[in-house]
Amino acid sequence: MARLRAVWTAFRHQALHFFADPQWLIPNIIAPFILTLVALMLFRSASGNVVLYAILGGGMMGMWGNTLYASGFSIQSERWWGTLESVLAVPTSMIWIIAGRAIWNSMVGILNGFFILVIAVTVFQTPLNLNDVPLFILAFVLTLISLACLGLVFSSAFVLTRSAGVLTNGLEFPIYVGTGTMFPIALLPFWTQPLAFSLGPTWGIDAIRYAALSDYSSGLTPGYWGDLAIMAVLSVCYLVIAVWLFKQVDHRARRDANLGRY
Amino acid sequence: MADYVANPLRVFWSSAVLAKRALFAWLSPGLWLMQLFTMSLFSIAFFVYVAKYVQNPDVSVAFVAVGNALQSVAYVSIFAVCNITGEEKEQGTLQGVLVSPANRFSIFVGRAMFQIVNGLATVGIAFFYAAFLFGVDFSSANLLTLAAVVLMTTFAMTGFGLMLSSLGMYLRTSMVIANIFLFIGLLFNGVNFPISYLPAFLQPISYAMPMTYGTEAARAAVSGASIADVSGLLASEALIGIVAILLGYVMLRAFEHLARSKGTMERLY
Repeated sequence: MARLRAVWTAFRHQALHFFADPQWLIPNIIAPFILTLVALMLFRSASGNVVLYAILGGGMMGMWGNTLYASGFSIQSERWWGTLESVLAVPTSMIWIIAGRAIWNSMVGILNGFFILVIAVTVFQTPLNLNDVPLFILAFVLTLISLACLGLVFSSAFVLTRSAGVLTNGLEFPIYVGTGTMFPIALLPFWTQPLAFSLGPTWGIDAIRYAALSDYSSGLTPGYWGDLAIMAVLSVCYLVIAVWLFKQVDHRARRDANLGRY
Repeated sequence: MADYVANPLRVFWSSAVLAKRALFAWLSPGLWLMQLFTMSLFSIAFFVYVAKYVQNPDVSVAFVAVGNALQSVAYVSIFAVCNITGEEKEQGTLQGVLVSPANRFSIFVGRAMFQIVNGLATVGIAFFYAAFLFGVDFSSANLLTLAAVVLMTTFAMTGFGLMLSSLGMYLRTSMVIANIFLFIGLLFNGVNFPISYLPAFLQPISYAMPMTYGTEAARAAVSGASIADVSGLLASEALIGIVAILLGYVMLRAFEHLARSKGTMERLY
């Protein structure tokens, strides 16, 4: 119960931070937003479902971009403000605090998907005919949770480095490429595919497309439910890794006493 | 009289040296190299694979790869340079810099100098990827013209970044502006699709940005155009770069005045 309370408080705290200075949403989602618009320009001669394919990919990039940036910068900001040591020293394990933040950050990523949707409908005049709305919502929510779990792994790793900002910037495009947000991952070189398959968002966006597109033929072999099952297993793995990493980080931070160094 | 020339030059040089030292004080050389080698690779890869998937007849893999290779200069010339004032503010050193009698132009242009070198290296690596990983045919390319285009684009984009940097003096953070202008070029500069795809009322924005001329000149250079063939594009690009630097200086002084009078210089959050 105490842990849930910590998650809720961290969630609320992150929300208050966001509303106090919402301009930070722009750096977090500008790349996915522009990349989707570029893709829509390239897809302009294509038919409705292909455009919807791009829009869904853009929404996914938005959620992912926000998770990544917020994970990286929530640690880096604490370091800048000089509050990181205090957060680590409280009796509640830091992972619950970061979990609350990660859930909020993934949720804010939905905003990007919404902006892209509005542009797609109003400017590009794309009809939004979702094939199966309940399955779409289910895949969407589970993908959001998976992203939050992945964000936890990154957050724990970022605690240890003063270069979290650089790593955050550096990881954005590799994930967009690796998870096939805008194109089927079959186009990628074969040796990169194990990496793509180890990422929850790869399965998440595939499941979302299975639910949304009526004639989705370039999907992964496991299909909608298979995608969700694999994503769930991966999310549990991320959680286990994150818990283990946070324990290591906690130990190392107390031993080396260089947590606040930047 | 000699001091009027020597002092700004001295400030310029020391500012350039300091910027390089400051970069490596917080960023390990290994991480810097990783950034240098991976940043352009994945951004080019993203658009190349989108182009392969879309198969738009106007947009070949070479069109996208060359455009994005040149656009990679924006990561340093726009993002890093635009953040110069914002970073000073973040570190709490902006006021210390501004109360010194040193020439502002020398300080901030000097700060950007290392990024020009950084930018040239980034674009060089990006063109290497375009040729050897993404299969762009450079057999008929005029490398001298391409080098001139890269040099001019880096200069002009750094000037553009300096102009944007002046906003960081007044705003809470320059990060927002830096991010917007880093990526907006992908949409407006003809990097990924012809500018004619944009609505007519947006096209003037494209022609107010130096990268637009750079990408067109780079594609011409890869097709074998000589420097004379692209001289018009290079001249337009240089002109925009110079105007951006001058305008940036005026904006820098204006925003400095505004920040002083409104007491916002220290405002971060």
